Amino acid sequence: MKNVLKTLAPLALLLSLGAQAAENPTVIRFGSPIVGTGNRPVAYGSYYATAQTKALFEQEFKKDGIRVEWNNFKGAGPAVNEAVANNLLDITWEGDLPALIGKAGGLNTRLILASGFLNTYLLVPSNSTAETLEDLKGKKVAVFKGTAPQLSAAKILAEHNLKERDFRTISMDGNTATAALTTGDVDAIWTGSSAYQLVDRGVGKIVLDTRARSYELASQGFVLANEQFEQKYPHIVQRIVNVLVKEAVWSSEAANKSKVLQLWAKSGIPYSSLARDIEGIDLKRAQSPLLDPFFLANIKRNAEQAKKLNLLLGDVNIDEWQKPDYLQQALKEVGAEHYWTTYNAQGQPQG
Amino acid sequence: MTTLTSTSALTSRPLWRWRPAPLPKVVLAFILPITLLALWQLALQQGWASPHILPPPQKVLQRLWALAQSGDLSFHLLTSLTRVGWGFLFGLLIGIPLGVVMGLSRTAESYLMPTFKALSLIPPLGWIPLLILLVGIEEALKIIVISKAVVTPITLNIFKGIRIIPAGFFEVAKVNRLSGWQTFHRLILPATVPSLFTGVRYGLSNAWMALVAVELLAASEGIGYLLVWGRQLFQLDLVMACIVIIGLLGLSCDALLARTEQRLLNWRRSAY
Amino acid sequence: MATTRHHLDPRAWALPALLVGLWALSSYLGWANPDLLPSPLLVLDTAYAHWQSGELTTGLQASLIRDLSGFVAGSLVGFGLGALLGVSRLAENLVTPTFNTFKQIAFFAWIPLLSMWFGQGELAKIILISMAAFIPVTLNTFEGIRSVSRELAEVSQVLALNRRQIWLKLILPSAAPQIFTGLTLALIYSWLATIGAEYFLSAGAGVTNPMLDGREQFDMALVIYGMLVIALLGALFNAIAVHLERRAQRWRSHL
Repeated sequence: MKNVLKTLAPLALLLSLGAQAAENPTVIRFGSPIVGTGNRPVAYGSYYATAQTKALFEQEFKKDGIRVEWNNFKGAGPAVNEAVANNLLDITWEGDLPALIGKAGGLNTRLILASGFLNTYLLVPSNSTAETLEDLKGKKVAVFKGTAPQLSAAKILAEHNLKERDFRTISMDGNTATAALTTGDVDAIWTGSSAYQLVDRGVGKIVLDTRARSYELASQGFVLANEQFEQKYPHIVQRIVNVLVKEAVWSSEAANKSKVLQLWAKSGIPYSSLARDIEGIDLKRAQSPLLDPFFLANIKRNAEQAKKLNLLLGDVNIDEWQKPDYLQQALKEVGAEHYWTTYNAQGQPQG
Repeated sequence: MTTLTSTSALTSRPLWRWRPAPLPKVVLAFILPITLLALWQLALQQGWASPHILPPPQKVLQRLWALAQSGDLSFHLLTSLTRVGWGFLFGLLIGIPLGVVMGLSRTAESYLMPTFKALSLIPPLGWIPLLILLVGIEEALKIIVISKAVVTPITLNIFKGIRIIPAGFFEVAKVNRLSGWQTFHRLILPATVPSLFTGVRYGLSNAWMALVAVELLAASEGIGYLLVWGRQLFQLDLVMACIVIIGLLGLSCDALLARTEQRLLNWRRSAY
Repeated sequence: MATTRHHLDPRAWALPALLVGLWALSSYLGWANPDLLPSPLLVLDTAYAHWQSGELTTGLQASLIRDLSGFVAGSLVGFGLGALLGVSRLAENLVTPTFNTFKQIAFFAWIPLLSMWFGQGELAKIILISMAAFIPVTLNTFEGIRSVSRELAEVSQVLALNRRQIWLKLILPSAAPQIFTGLTLALIYSWLATIGAEYFLSAGAGVTNPMLDGREQFDMALVIYGMLVIALLGALFNAIAVHLERRAQRWRSHL
């Protein structure tokens, strides 16, 4: 009997060690729908992007021996969704439309952080005579289907009593759209924050943008966690959220603005173009990760509009989707509980 | 339905030795698709696959119906068919003369065939980046790509068709003092009809392939455009509906071709 | 029909030489917009740079591995199905209508479905490529086995061969030439599918990257270089296919 115990003991020890090791993943896979110029894997526009550029997660998890993998998809939101559907990603950032489509389509994601409002722009070739949407009726317009700018564009079109069908809409990814605008193969493109670089290069000019009414017309950004990953490794997710919230604080400091832009510029988009995109915008509010009533009300509104515009087939239960626990905990641990303003559903600051 | 063998009167085969008659082929043909459909439904009911990865068959049918109702289906279908039509026509207009010239003249073959073969080493898909930079993304692009896809099989098959005409035929023509045009009209043309059909068959399937490829890349309408829509907006029911449509199109084209070929071949047989 | 050895015939080079000459002349004299028609030297430069940097080798490796994996996978499945259809009329009647319908669907239409079911990585690409190989192998294996002549079947009965012997000594050798034809076609089709897969399912190294990047970056020289690489590889596969087909013919004539 004693002999049996002797042989079993080391085995038991090994098993218990194994069980402990199973509490940590071997790798954390991050996804991003943003690529830089030349398809380089550098993103911009949010604290999530700078977390990638600064390799913050690699530093954070080095001591645990957990590998960090980043995937930047030039196929943007839809490609991220495909990867999530195949369980190839653990944490992602997505614009509102693809995130809603994914959730409504049954992808198991949890909304853990908010990530800003991103502007949408309508550009025409620099030598074009078009000045309004009506001028472009029946012309070729490029929009990347399934991405946030498509919803933004659809909302703007609806306000002008126009539909996608009133134009010849072609789906093109960022680089293809830029190329098409340059050669004049398309008459207009809908695009996001990289718009000003096209203007600065003399390739296009802006006809419309959402900057005056960001909070209604622009796109929301979400940080999502794969539910399987989140349920299995909640402590890891907490650490990830802590890193992100800390980074959000750093990005919100006015003193750091130029540093933030420099990091974003590593994507290949010129500093000046990025600066123009956020001119006059409250950077602190734009970088706020708070899942406050205003943000949530906007999600609801976006979902309804997407459904009405036939971009979304299905419903999203926001209360089931969001998981603010990690955010609350992170705010406490980072000491940022009162750093950002919470806005109520009407957009008024509260508390 | 037993075959109490028709010769039972003559043989003394006992009645209990019957075998069920084989089911008619038509019925057999449907067993597999129906089984697959049943499995599909089962997979959904049992939760083997989630509905966002495998939409229920009814949803696909509903989507097809909705597309037909809204007029979207006919709009996009017509656009794609028109493109294939023009591309195919140009493919024939270029391919047939080219094949005939190379087939009839060994000199022409020596000069032209190597370059032709070299150019056809690059599949239509490979020409698209170049063509986009040259002609943009309008209808011209689609029609050029489709014609390119059609020209290769047409030319090669016509060429082969002419080459396998036995030399004896030409001697007969010479003996009968047939003029060039008559030789062509009464001899060469009919003899190449089977090869033409092979070429047309391959050309048509190539044309559809090229159409879908080019519409996936740079179209604002058409079946490929619908596929992109479905993929980007994660609407698998739309993607599957499009696949059904494309499959039906392919089938009907093939059936039409087979029927025309039958007719022409019958005529040919009766001509001799 | 005489098989003319084209590459030895000087006339074969006349047209290409003329075209290249025109190309060189027009870029030297500045007839054409250099953005739309770069000089041949620039294309050679780009080619050299890609070779030097090792990009060519990585791309080739990646593409060929994909191609081969898909080819082998698809051929194995195709052989299995084709053999089943060949020996069993019941299987043939059950499966061929569905198979023929499946065959009719324009190949690239599967891409959106595959990318949603398998993502955009290697798996989806290899599945696409195996689908391309699967079709000709199935058809030709089926035909090859089905056409094993009656006489051979009778011989096997006379000799009272067991099942394994029938397969190994009778059916397979007789069907081999046709199966070979199927494999030859599969080789060509899987190569075409590899190009398609790299085109539509993004990311990863590959031989089509120069072409695609060139289009995005307006680098016409890069696009032309990319096309030349594809043409050369296509020639290679074609040559292999022709060689294999000749082998199969010789086989057939021996029966």
